[in-house]
Amino acid sequence: MQNHLDFTAVIKANEGIIYKIVSMYCDTREDKKDLYQEIVYQLYKSFDSFRGDSKVSTWMYRIALNTSITHINKKKRSGTQIPFEIERFTETTEADQSALENLKLLHDLIAQLSAIDKGIVLLFLEDKSYAQIAQITGFSESNIGTRMARIKTKLKNKHLNNL
Amino acid sequence: MELNEIKSLWNEMSEKIEAQEVLTNSLIMEMTQQRYKNTFSSLKFYETIGGIICLIAGFALLFNLDRLDTWYLLTSGIICVVYLIGLPLITLNSIWRMSKLNILNKNLKQTLTDFYKRKRQMLLIQQLGIAFNFLLVIVSLPVIVKISNGKDLFLEPAQMYWYVPGMFLFLAVASRAGYRCYKRIAASAQKTLEELEG
Repeated sequence: MQNHLDFTAVIKANEGIIYKIVSMYCDTREDKKDLYQEIVYQLYKSFDSFRGDSKVSTWMYRIALNTSITHINKKKRSGTQIPFEIERFTETTEADQSALENLKLLHDLIAQLSAIDKGIVLLFLEDKSYAQIAQITGFSESNIGTRMARIKTKLKNKHLNNL
Repeated sequence: MELNEIKSLWNEMSEKIEAQEVLTNSLIMEMTQQRYKNTFSSLKFYETIGGIICLIAGFALLFNLDRLDTWYLLTSGIICVVYLIGLPLITLNSIWRMSKLNILNKNLKQTLTDFYKRKRQMLLIQQLGIAFNFLLVIVSLPVIVKISNGKDLFLEPAQMYWYVPGMFLFLAVASRAGYRCYKRIAASAQKTLEELEG
């Protein structure tokens, strides 16, 4: 019981991380909900083995990214869904409308990156250092640097093409 | 747009997202329980059923091999048994290995490498299955006819004249579509593996 309470507290404190990863990897609301639930389930499965060697957020990013990349490849939703509201923004307020537009813009820019590059750019946007990105992804720090330089060029070109 | 501009947009959005709490304790636990049930209900249902049917047919044939009284019928029977028992076991094993991929203790690079290697292996087995289907078309009918009504189709091949070309045509059309699909998936898996090395 205590374990369940600890787990729900951790998820609630970091649910924004899951939402951002899901938004990065899925287009439709249903796919987002499916991936969201899968990530929560995978986090639950590994919660007991999480010993606090790394930060909670590092553990969450690692599991959530691994889940996203393997899950989107299955292209098949996993049975019954729990009904819940996935979207954080509605179009009724001006602030939400602007956040929604920004989210769409980011999504469009990042959509053409590969699954690996998406994960790396997400961690970069989340203010992770190259060393932390390397720890989560398993690539070397220098490799992350090279990949980031390539990603920057890709995004710049994509934005220029969209103009 | 520069990455720094994207980052400032991202930070602005993150603040809004993190200020919201959507999940409740009960919702989180419901999600994990439902997904746990789904893991069992969404096991590769059709592949498993197909595999079980093949295994039953394979064993039924195995226990009737003594009714195949010539060397060529016996050879055909053995090929059918090996196919019907062997291939489903290999296929189900590869599917099981895919579903048992451990993503909890590995980093992104290790997870992806394992995932795509297993996927490529599974595709290779499925492609082999397509090739063996053509062999099965030729050898299965004489075996079935011999066991069911005692006729040797190799001595009276009239029925084979329409059956073999018809089945070959059907298999060729079905296999072509399947093969192109496998080729595309395998190419995408290979590209990702190469990207992991880069």
